[in-house]
Amino acid sequence: MCGIAGIYAYLDVAPSVDRVELGRMNVRMAPRGPDGSGDWLSPDGRVGFTHRRLAIIDLSERGAQPMHSADGALTITFNGEIYNYRELKAELEAKGRVFRSDSDTEVLLQLYEERGAAMVEALRGMFAFGLWDSRQRRLVLARDPLGIKPLYYADDGWTLRFASQAKALLAGGAVSRDPDPAGIVGFHLLGSVPEPFTVWQGIRAVPAGATMVVDATGPNAPRQYYSVARSLGRRAEGAKADTSQARATLSAALHDSVRHHLVSDVPVAVFLSAGLDSGALLGTMAELGARDTLAVTLAFEEFRGAALDEAPLAAEVAAHYGARHVVRTVDRREFERDLPAIFDAMDLPTIDGINTWFVAKAAHEAGIKVALSGLGADECFGGYPSFVDVPRSVHLLRPFGVLPGLGALARRVMSAAIAAGIGVHPKAAGLLQYGSSWAGAYLLRRSVYMPWELDDLLDPALLEEGLRRLAPLSRIAAELQAGRPLGDFDRVATLETSLYMRNQLLRDADWAGMAHSIEIRVPYVDPFFLAALPPGDVLAAVNAKQAVADIPVPPLPAASRNRPKTGFVTPVGRWLREASGAAEDVTFSAASRAWALRIGQAFA
Amino acid sequence: MNTRILALVGDCYGAQGGIARYNQDLFEALAEDGAEILIVPRLGDAAGLALPARVQQHPPVFGRLMFSVASLSAAWRHRPVDVVFCGHVFMAPLAWALSRLFGARYWLQAHGIDILSLGRGLVRRAIEAADLATTVSRATRKNLLAQADIAPERVRVLPNTVRGMFAPGPPSEALRARLQLGAGPVLLTVGRLAASERYKGHEQTFAALPALRAEFPGLIHLVVGDGDDRGRLEKRALELAGDPAAVRFLGYVPEADLPDLYRLADLFVMPSSHEGFGIVYLEAAACGLRVVGGAGGGSGDAIPDGRVGVAVDPGDGEALIAAIRRSLGEGGADQAAIEPYRRPHFAAAATKLLARLRTGPHRMRDAA
Repeated sequence: MCGIAGIYAYLDVAPSVDRVELGRMNVRMAPRGPDGSGDWLSPDGRVGFTHRRLAIIDLSERGAQPMHSADGALTITFNGEIYNYRELKAELEAKGRVFRSDSDTEVLLQLYEERGAAMVEALRGMFAFGLWDSRQRRLVLARDPLGIKPLYYADDGWTLRFASQAKALLAGGAVSRDPDPAGIVGFHLLGSVPEPFTVWQGIRAVPAGATMVVDATGPNAPRQYYSVARSLGRRAEGAKADTSQARATLSAALHDSVRHHLVSDVPVAVFLSAGLDSGALLGTMAELGARDTLAVTLAFEEFRGAALDEAPLAAEVAAHYGARHVVRTVDRREFERDLPAIFDAMDLPTIDGINTWFVAKAAHEAGIKVALSGLGADECFGGYPSFVDVPRSVHLLRPFGVLPGLGALARRVMSAAIAAGIGVHPKAAGLLQYGSSWAGAYLLRRSVYMPWELDDLLDPALLEEGLRRLAPLSRIAAELQAGRPLGDFDRVATLETSLYMRNQLLRDADWAGMAHSIEIRVPYVDPFFLAALPPGDVLAAVNAKQAVADIPVPPLPAASRNRPKTGFVTPVGRWLREASGAAEDVTFSAASRAWALRIGQAFA
Repeated sequence: MNTRILALVGDCYGAQGGIARYNQDLFEALAEDGAEILIVPRLGDAAGLALPARVQQHPPVFGRLMFSVASLSAAWRHRPVDVVFCGHVFMAPLAWALSRLFGARYWLQAHGIDILSLGRGLVRRAIEAADLATTVSRATRKNLLAQADIAPERVRVLPNTVRGMFAPGPPSEALRARLQLGAGPVLLTVGRLAASERYKGHEQTFAALPALRAEFPGLIHLVVGDGDDRGRLEKRALELAGDPAAVRFLGYVPEADLPDLYRLADLFVMPSSHEGFGIVYLEAAACGLRVVGGAGGGSGDAIPDGRVGVAVDPGDGEALIAAIRRSLGEGGADQAAIEPYRRPHFAAAATKLLARLRTGPHRMRDAA
């Protein structure tokens, strides 16, 4: 778990790699890897890698990076964890391969020799890496299936640069800062920048679940080796809708995932809220034999003693499973004090990530390097209101979608009425126009602003250009391509997993966690786990989001099941609102709008 | 089987100018690698010229409609066509249509200034449909990506190549004596003196001369090139430099004589703000002459780094003076930096791009 970067001067006319530039990229990522730093330059000076290390598996120098294959032909710089590296290593050893270290990094090198770039399909974990194959003179970039680890690249037509953070690419000094209208419009629409865009035209994300090969002609089109929609489609196909076995299947899948996510040579903690998802992780850890686990809970001065305070219930769960419990209380003064550092660490604009910043900060203070998080459970178990709202909207409003223009007309009338002061959220105006398609209904549900509202916020030329390139509806609809029809639950799960979770939650977990040198592991975000779960309609039928409470033995205490789901209720919403100067007495949604504007300015 | 290419271009054999030269270099490289190329130009007649093996050129067809008809019939005769190459963005719709019609892959070449202002509509959509787009410079690539919605991986850079006649050599004493250059140092500018190309920055150089000549009394600025702006520039030279001996206009110089001029001079100076690529910078440097160019446009690609020279802000007179002063003490351009622009590298890059185009996804077919 680290920070990686590299430069490949692929065209002959491009100047050779500038070691000083590589150094500046490395320094920008220092918090990602405080335990070590290394760089490597190919003998001909055309390729250079750099690496910041947060040592978690094989703490010795043998695990240092960039790492070379035994014959020196392959070099890798790798960020992440491969949870099944021991299994893969055993397979490779059975084929006669000899290992020099106990690190998962070396497994990647040897697996590549065995299978080439297709080896990513065998990896269980979170990863982003750059691998230089000097025999074929090509650079392979790869990113994990669900996009837990970030990987950005900048290609100017002569030279390709890549890094774990967009800001590290900029820090190198050779990458253009020209703004990208698509990314800027995407952020204002959704509250986070949708892949593959960033807010800079010269920088793009390697898509989640893709590899990209860079040869002497430059980068080739990314090759997608994983798609959420296809994976959920396959899951739905084989299994019959058998609810009797569903709970046992669910339990086995989570036990397997947690067991894999505990692979580490340093202690693994857990971020514990009052919700069921993180409690189930702690319970499963305890059941699997983890002793004396540290559980970190975030509390807010403003909520002390109130129903919204998660600390008392979390304490009960921690005690129930024999964990050491740390409650970290944050107040507004600390938030304001940290704000400049938050802006600096925030790699791309986002309206979220503040909670992760503080809980990771608390974990770091407690001497922790690795923590499990319940992130992703809502996406796979249907924990969001969108699982109900989006299908309902589509089924109810389908007749309106048939009549072209009716929805748009209704939206204009409604917009005018809202502007005139009827007390309805501005997004409601678009219900008829957007709510009848899956992509439209999802956009309506997840958006901060709707397209027609951006006229007031953004320069008209930038808005037009950005919307044209972003094409939000077709981009959302494209995520649903599964090669077979998906059920309602799986459709929403696909959209939430491949859009909201990827572009918002996982990206925020990365920058906010890594800023404090904390590796956040997410057992609910794992293709092997997703594939092992019962199909979506069965998960819905057995109410999986409640059923997780019964997975650990012993199950979660009764108190935690009876707690109403509060969602994202923290005073952070209010702080954001006040920090961004919005009017009093507005909803969270309105606060996030004001915050979006403030963030947009910080990146301008 | 060899790749069969139908090339729609503005001009190629039998024509002068940078784009014609680039097309010739490209087709020669591809034909040497085995490609069979049929060129349909709008201008330039190849009749009587010896073309490289496997390269044929159709007689020029200027009119838009007739060009389309000629291209269609040429494609029919040249089938099976594997690749339709389009040498000018305004022919992109035709190239796109022909590639669909003949099931061929579609390669678009975009030169510097011709994509500055794409509107909406057909041309842009035809650009976005390209399986492979190449540009001569990084700046043109960036410009193209900013204006057309095309996957950045499909837009590659294939820089101009510098020909073998441009190589270092001893300065000709005879030429030096004939031109009566005196002690020097000699600054040299080569470029058309056209009212439409005032961005080349002659006047900025003239304005720098008084300060430079205070330090180097023998300094002379040689201006090579002709055009409709010459009379005005001669007046401006006198006004700005303040000394009739400071600037010498040599008029048009045949290409074959340019290397000797480059070898004679001490510094190439042209603070241009809009070069598409800036091949003259490269040709000067290939003769060993250090370069002071202008930042902006594609010049950065012909002056890759400090081994060749420096690009200054054309609007900053002080910076230009400082750059010239500094560069005069730095010796010639490093030939190691020029080597990658030589023909073997260009040919290797071109053939790799063609191989990539042929093995990559077939967008026409996939979309159908």
